[in-house]
Amino acid sequence: MSTLTLNGVRKSFGAMDVLQSIDLQLEDGEFLVLLGPSGCGKSTLLNIVAGLETPTSGDIFIGDKRVNDVHPKNRNIAMVFQSYALYPTMPVERNIGFGLEMRGVEADTRKRAVDGAARMLQVDHLLDRKPGQLSGGQRQRVAMGRAIVREPELFLFDEPLSNLDAKLRAEMRTEIKRLHNRLGTTVVYVTHDQIEAMTLGTRIAVMKGGVIQQLADPMTTYEKPANMFVAGFIGSPSMNFVNGTLARDGDHVVLQTEGREPTTIRLPRVAANLDGLDGRQVVLGVRPESFSAATGDTADLVGTIDVVEPTGPDTLVVLAVGGQTITARLGPKLTVSTGETLGLTIHPDSISLFDPKSGGRIG
Amino acid sequence: MAERMSALSEQSPSIWRRLDPAAALGRLSESRYWMYLLLVPSAILILAVVLYPTVYGFQLSFRQMRLNRPDLGTGFVGFKHYIYMWSDKVFWLSLRNTAVWVTFAVVIEFALGLVAALALNRNLPGTKIMGVLILLPFFLPNVVAGHMWALLLDPRLGVVNDILVRLGFLETYKAWFADPSTALGAAILVEAWHGFPFFALLLLAGLKGVPDDLYKAASVDGAGPIRQLRLITLPMLRSVIAAAVILRVIGLVNSPDLLLILTGGGPGQSTQVLSLYAFQKAYKDFNFGYAGALSVVMFVLLMVFAWAYVRVSKVNQD
Amino acid sequence: MITTSRRARLGWNIATYAVLITLTIFCIFPLVWTLLTSLKYEADIVTQTMQYIPKRITFDNYVAIWTQSGFPTLVFNSFVVTATTVVLCLITGTLAAYSFSRFHYPGRGVLMLGYLVIRMFPAVLMIIPLFILMRGVGLLDSRFGLALAYTSFLLPLFVWMLKGFFDAAPKELESAARIDGCTRLGAMVRIVLPLARNGLVATSVFVAIAAWNEFLFALMLTTSQGSRTWPVGLQLMVGEFQLPWGVLAAGGIISIIPVMILFAIVQRTMVHGITAGAVKG
Ligand SMILES: Nc1ncnc2c1ncn2[C@@H]1O[C@H](COP(=O)(O)OP(=O)(O)OP(=O)(O)O)[C@@H](O)[C@H]1O
Ligand SMILES: [Mg+2]
Repeated sequence: MSTLTLNGVRKSFGAMDVLQSIDLQLEDGEFLVLLGPSGCGKSTLLNIVAGLETPTSGDIFIGDKRVNDVHPKNRNIAMVFQSYALYPTMPVERNIGFGLEMRGVEADTRKRAVDGAARMLQVDHLLDRKPGQLSGGQRQRVAMGRAIVREPELFLFDEPLSNLDAKLRAEMRTEIKRLHNRLGTTVVYVTHDQIEAMTLGTRIAVMKGGVIQQLADPMTTYEKPANMFVAGFIGSPSMNFVNGTLARDGDHVVLQTEGREPTTIRLPRVAANLDGLDGRQVVLGVRPESFSAATGDTADLVGTIDVVEPTGPDTLVVLAVGGQTITARLGPKLTVSTGETLGLTIHPDSISLFDPKSGGRIG
Repeated sequence: MAERMSALSEQSPSIWRRLDPAAALGRLSESRYWMYLLLVPSAILILAVVLYPTVYGFQLSFRQMRLNRPDLGTGFVGFKHYIYMWSDKVFWLSLRNTAVWVTFAVVIEFALGLVAALALNRNLPGTKIMGVLILLPFFLPNVVAGHMWALLLDPRLGVVNDILVRLGFLETYKAWFADPSTALGAAILVEAWHGFPFFALLLLAGLKGVPDDLYKAASVDGAGPIRQLRLITLPMLRSVIAAAVILRVIGLVNSPDLLLILTGGGPGQSTQVLSLYAFQKAYKDFNFGYAGALSVVMFVLLMVFAWAYVRVSKVNQD
Repeated sequence: MITTSRRARLGWNIATYAVLITLTIFCIFPLVWTLLTSLKYEADIVTQTMQYIPKRITFDNYVAIWTQSGFPTLVFNSFVVTATTVVLCLITGTLAAYSFSRFHYPGRGVLMLGYLVIRMFPAVLMIIPLFILMRGVGLLDSRFGLALAYTSFLLPLFVWMLKGFFDAAPKELESAARIDGCTRLGAMVRIVLPLARNGLVATSVFVAIAAWNEFLFALMLTTSQGSRTWPVGLQLMVGEFQLPWGVLAAGGIISIIPVMILFAIVQRTMVHGITAGAVKG
């Protein structure tokens, strides 16, 4: 059964269209990550699901019930906010139990539920404190406790980790994954951190300008981005884009680059879908880790080294290739220096071709 | 709407819940128009007690209305009051006095307020309490402020006179409020005492918003304190200053309280200002029509000033 | 270089203290003098040589103003009017401030400006029709009528100040409360109002002081002992009875004591609220 269904949901604030016809279907137990740059409408979408905003048009179903006109409290959801939104005047215990309190749950039952949730999140020793007396990580845990104590059908998270420092964030990320495995509740999770998206999501919806650009599982999103925006948004350093024209050179398909000093990039022998594209203008997308250093005739392309950045586990090399810039992630003990020429091969199976006008994926 | 209501009442089937006023209000708050509903009580009050009377007042200024002369009726008299005003010497005098009163009071208050704010903003040890004491006059009632200063400046037992004579600035005690040449000046002093804390308050808040780095950068560049004030502080405070001046001018033009208590416009008409003149026309002569016309003129002048001032300070900003 | 700048700093510090001490004296000397006067015998006030420090102290003036005039009634009336004003402001103004702070809707900016422009209307222009109006509905010379008038012109300040305090409470708190099961009203009452408690108190105190001090409307809209407030009463006493200075000073001191106490208690929050409102507006 699907937990959440959105049909043609639109939202505009005055003249500004923030969401443009969002369709989405979420199966039980899924972990959907909404990923996108700031201001693309992620929070707005989440708020519409929660019932905090009304959509301009479109339908929202939770379970099989249309909930457009249902009060947030009756949607059987729980939400965790970026700022945690803990009630400053109430101690932790009441904060966690407030939802149950408002639903008229008896004090005994409530206490048991709160204790259970608090123990699960290791905040049972903090129950008497006010939110102001907690650290950022502890507040985060209390906010999660407040969400799980009600055992909702659907969790909504709005950038819950973005206020934590890097170490805590990694820790809580694991914690959330563990929690999801344990409870099996459906989750919609908003973030603009692609690592969170890749590690947590069973599916990722990449959004831009109020439109879902791609909705797929993390690996597909990474390896077969639906368009240049998704390709560029996911992955760090981001995917290399080279403009050029496809041509055939014997056995190979090559890319004749544009720019000040045109050169030729040999594409690996891949799927037949390159056939029939001769002479077409494209944008070639290659992830930095899809290159390896090569010499002589085996090299698919040759460039001049511009910058060398050793990061420890590997070395980032920025090359000028025919007037365009390419970043390659190469092995750790590379002995190259600026100004030298370097040959690279491209791994088969890991190139993307985009239409330069629409940005959409060709092959 | 209706759907939502029924969905909610499903949740609370008890008839008592539905009749409970708190619950009913709670349900009302889920309405789409809640934000407007929240404004209703205050809007009603403002409409009934401010807007309606003001419009009525405008309309009064075109009518005859003298409570002590019911024989004249309350008929429409067109621009009669305005035409009379043109030849009313006291009106012109009050207009001049208003300009003097407001200009001097605002300038002095601003200067004192700026000095106080700059001094307080240095946060030297022990100055916090002074900051509180300096604000105090602003919160004191006009009636008490007026009489305190009347006592201080009293021609027979005023301590200010005594001090000035002892210091050799005065030959004999002076009747400050009885002499037409000093009455307005003395009143401005009292007003300055009462009003400068307001400027100090706002300017201090403005100063707190100026980043320290700017001063550090300026002093590294070799700018002295005076130049820092001119080049950094005042420009950064521009919008605060504009707001403070506007608010204060409105307050000064509109409220005759202090002069009413201190001098009642006298001696002669030497401290007569527009608001006070209008008030006395209404309160003493019960000539509501003419008083209305006077206040309309005052209001229009104030609006023109506010508009021009905002204009000028905006233009300067660019 | 260093020494000169240190010397310059010392110079500025001395100047700062000099300025502040002068201003403080300027501000509180009238108060101190009034207090001293209220404690002097009439004979010591009206003397040939000024008595700076009273040689003897008396509370006769306080007894006189409290027992020989209607002063207690005046103070009581003022108290009733002030309390009514605060309650009216709290009820109507809190709702309006909440609406302005929490929602974005067409017309919000205009309405907010409208509430502010009200302050520009000359009191005198309002006061005359208000007199006629209140006479018509029987609210002339009543404490409630006066409180109504006060509320209407204090509301804008109240709303703007309180809005600042509401703005400081994160919006997500209400979202959380609504998901937890509160109505919008419930979220406001249970979550936001307790959070803005200090702001509510400070804003109320500000309005209370203004209502307590108000003179012009009271002068025009009250005509009898039954509703007259202390500023009007005191002023009339000066005119009618040639009130002795000592007694007048005592009356003044009595009537500003509540102001000073309230000011002392919430001074910091109140100042914050006033400046936030004005600097933004
Ligand atoms: N109440 C509102 N009125 C007008 N515009 C709004 C309102 N709420 C959001 N917006 C606009 O809608 C757009 C989307 O906002 P939203 O908060 O959904 O972005 P977001 O994707 O969550 O961004 P972030 O990552 O910064 O949280 C933004 O351009 C924002 O300015
Ligand atoms: Mg957001």
